[in-house]
Amino acid sequence: MRILSEFNFKKIISPLFILIVCEIIGRTRLIDPFFFPPPSAIFKSLWQMTITGEIFPHIAISVLRAVTGYIIAAAAGLFLGILVAGSKLFENIFDPLIELIRPISTFAIVPVMFVWFGIGNGSKIAIIVKACFFPIVLNTIAGIKGVDLRLIQAARSLGANGRQLWTMVLIPSALPMIITGMRISTAMSMLAIVGVEMLAADSGIGFLVIDAQRTFATDRMFAGIIVISLMGVTFDKIARFVQQRILSWHTDTSLAGTSA
Amino acid sequence: MFIIEAQKVCKIFNKREEITAIENFSLKVRENEFVSIIGPSGCGKSTFLLLAAGLESITSGQIFINGSKINGPDPKRAIVFQEYLLFPWKTVRKNVEFGPLVRKVMKAERRKISDKYIKMVGLEGFEDRYPHELSGGMKQRVAIARALANEPEVLFMDEPFGSLDSLTREMLQSELLQIWTEAKCTVIFVTHSISEAVYLSDRVVVMSRRPGRIIADIRINLKRPRLREMLSTPEFSEYERKIREFVWAQV
Repeated sequence: MRILSEFNFKKIISPLFILIVCEIIGRTRLIDPFFFPPPSAIFKSLWQMTITGEIFPHIAISVLRAVTGYIIAAAAGLFLGILVAGSKLFENIFDPLIELIRPISTFAIVPVMFVWFGIGNGSKIAIIVKACFFPIVLNTIAGIKGVDLRLIQAARSLGANGRQLWTMVLIPSALPMIITGMRISTAMSMLAIVGVEMLAADSGIGFLVIDAQRTFATDRMFAGIIVISLMGVTFDKIARFVQQRILSWHTDTSLAGTSA
Repeated sequence: MFIIEAQKVCKIFNKREEITAIENFSLKVRENEFVSIIGPSGCGKSTFLLLAAGLESITSGQIFINGSKINGPDPKRAIVFQEYLLFPWKTVRKNVEFGPLVRKVMKAERRKISDKYIKMVGLEGFEDRYPHELSGGMKQRVAIARALANEPEVLFMDEPFGSLDSLTREMLQSELLQIWTEAKCTVIFVTHSISEAVYLSDRVVVMSRRPGRIIADIRINLKRPRLREMLSTPEFSEYERKIREFVWAQV
């Protein structure tokens, strides 16, 4: 009841309005329902996919691919980011590479990945890794390099040495930026997985949408898009939750508009 | 026996161009002395603190602390900066316990230390607050407690009250004297304020323009404990006048 009373009803006005308008357009056949199925038909089809259980394996495989790619990208991005930020040598070695590969559109390397890893899960995960890796590595580097030199001096004067400086000062201090990179990447992973599943796949939520389009089941197509949207929102909510948990001190700071 | 002995210290920064920050800087400080360094902006006051704290390397000359030549930072020498430089992700208590933590002091002992110094700076009840929840004066108290938690022999203070409003500043000056008496350490205090220097110190050292060296070393023979009323006495004004003369000759 408490949740209900705190719910901001104003926020559902605009989506509700659009749904009603769409429903009217669909029902009155103002536009051919083939192109523009009424929301009721879309939800019916979504419901159908849910009760038959048909939708779940698609969601599961998409999430699995996205999460696997994301974890690999996060681990590699953090590792390389710390390496590059911590040593001039590694910076000189990796920086040109990062700058060359980063601007390449994720989808431009899809053919390469298909050639290298086949059209199975391998290539899809590799593409997710490409999409997620750069925001994480770049934010990690920028975060660590941006740590106030004076703060490091303060820590050193208190007795912190090399390894302690990393674990107790540099990384915690860079954490807001690192986490921001990781949050951007959750959105990237969703973008990439849907796209690549539309290009070549026989499973996954992206496949479901493109397959519906190919078989002219436009209500299924829209239902799939709704699922993609919900997945995206869920991913972002999880990322936000984690961010707030880890960075309570920082979000408070930003909200208060002061910097400590 | 001097706790700090700087001999002909010279520091040249090599950034885009060579800048000699301090030159021929010699200073001797006795144990438990309170010495202020005053001088025009950019004269190298802060540079000397960084050198003595072991945070910057000396170009030539040497600094001895307790008879041994300094070689990098040491928890026995603490420094408090104008910008507080607290760890924003740590609570007041965790900030104060940082020094003991990196020195691998056990948890129960750390707690005892943080209790002691948080009490000394008058921040009981704020142990679990984060720095952004504190006022400037409170942040600087945390920074002082954090520095003292390592039980340093020497406390370097780099314009610690420079960014505080004048009322808070006066309060913290009096409290610092109290803390200094309790904590029993040597203080080297860099400031721009002549009255602050006279009020706090046993000796006030005046530096020249860059490259900085010492041009005057004035003993302040006002009795302790120092009271705020002393600020309006003729003796106090006389010290101020004398120091101001030296400082103005430099700007």
